Amino acid sequence: MSLQLLISGISLGSVYALIAVGFAIVFSVLKFSNFAHGGMISACAYIGYYFQRSFPSTPPIYVTILFSALCGVALSFLVDFIAYRRLRAKQAPNIYYFLASITVSIAIVQILSVFYGNNLYAYPAIFESTTFFIGSIRFSTIDTLILLVSLAMLAVLIYLIDKTRVGLAIRAVAINAQTSKLMGINSGFIIVAVFAIAGVLAGVSGVLLGLKYSIYPTLGSQMMLKGFIASVIGGLGSLSGAIAAAIILGVVEIFLTYYLGSLSTPIILFGVMLVFLAVRPEGIAGRFAKDKV
Amino acid sequence: MPAILEVRGLKVRYGVHEAVCGVDMAFEEGKITAIIGSNGAGKTTIINAISGAVRREGKILYQGAPLTDKANRVVRRGIVQVPEGRKIFPGLSVEENLRLGAYTVKSNREIERLLREQYRMFPRLGERRKQDAGTLSGGEQQMLAIGRGLMALPRVIMLDEPSLGLAPVIVTDVFNNIRRIRDEGITVILVEQNAKKSLGICDYGYVIENGKAVIEGTGAELLCNEEVKNAYLGAAREC
Repeated sequence: MSLQLLISGISLGSVYALIAVGFAIVFSVLKFSNFAHGGMISACAYIGYYFQRSFPSTPPIYVTILFSALCGVALSFLVDFIAYRRLRAKQAPNIYYFLASITVSIAIVQILSVFYGNNLYAYPAIFESTTFFIGSIRFSTIDTLILLVSLAMLAVLIYLIDKTRVGLAIRAVAINAQTSKLMGINSGFIIVAVFAIAGVLAGVSGVLLGLKYSIYPTLGSQMMLKGFIASVIGGLGSLSGAIAAAIILGVVEIFLTYYLGSLSTPIILFGVMLVFLAVRPEGIAGRFAKDKV
Repeated sequence: MPAILEVRGLKVRYGVHEAVCGVDMAFEEGKITAIIGSNGAGKTTIINAISGAVRREGKILYQGAPLTDKANRVVRRGIVQVPEGRKIFPGLSVEENLRLGAYTVKSNREIERLLREQYRMFPRLGERRKQDAGTLSGGEQQMLAIGRGLMALPRVIMLDEPSLGLAPVIVTDVFNNIRRIRDEGITVILVEQNAKKSLGICDYGYVIENGKAVIEGTGAELLCNEEVKNAYLGAAREC
């Protein structure tokens, strides 16, 4: 039993990791918490749902994920265009970004509520059986799919950030935007890249959450809170920290839910977050980098 | 020799305060031009204006044509700034810092060649290439900042206070490197509070006071100038 719980936990944690990273990457470059990410996840979950149902025969899931990811990018650019672009031009203080992002998130949820009410929608089943066996151990097919897709996404992302020229530039802008310009880095391009990455992550995590849960307008915001907890515990702006914290969070959540029930679990999780904020606001991986003079 | 870079009637305002008020300067190709002056005189602002890091008025001509005011494009044109306080990227390795310097260089082979060149020039950086750049000593960070600037294959390199906060023996090292960079044919603009050292190695120099270029001349001329001697070189000095 505990092995199944562990796999289920890692699977859930890996989705949280996608969310946390989408959140943390925007934070690291633009230095604000992009709460609109939750609304975008919800929107992408619906987009995936309609895409799945709009063909006579259900399209393969990877096509749906790809389509939703592309829509996520478009949506991400749209949110930036509507809500953040002007703030950037005015070099507005962070509090305005914070307000704009919360407003966008609520607006998206309201738009979804108008169209779909608060009814639950379920993705059409994509597997004939909900479980499969390896030897005598039973695995959930959806959890396994989610785990594989998420880990693949995270691997691509880590490669992108750690090994490519654009990834290095993103890290440089995150550390010091002003000095990055002196390296010839076009900060406008980096911001576009970051929103594109966040959009892809919102698109993929939206569909994965839709496959696991029924979808409703506030699904993304609720799940994003978990991603937010993970990125706080992992250190805001630290990708590896956020991923590690997200996976631990998923496992802890599944075990706690199994032993304590789903009502008291969130209290414990949010309690842990408060403790982290009070004791170690820079997170488990974070450290405040100092410039030597 | 013609000037590779020229500044005409340059003005920079910070709010109501005018930090640079109408400066004319010419920087000769392949030479070291020093800009000296006390703290707050506007030296850094002048090179930030050339870099496109601050809003400016007036003309900047590069190879005879107006220079873009977009910071990232200025680097692409071959004008690179090594900022005051090194501004290396802590949390990134020494090698990653150097690679960022070559952000505008497209060819991978060229980047590898440039890396080898910096490691040859600054062996300490080679020994520490995998190390977090934030853990380097002040002198090593200055070497890294200069190496990072050279990674962009500059035609003009602007060094802002490269000797600041360094031990005397390291300062000598830094100035030797500046001379070497000039000898490779790169035009050097040197902003310094250390007037004696910088006038000692420069080909031409400007003295900046309150946002204006008040005195100019060759390094030797400035070293013998009574006003410069009194204000910047300390006690009377024989020429």
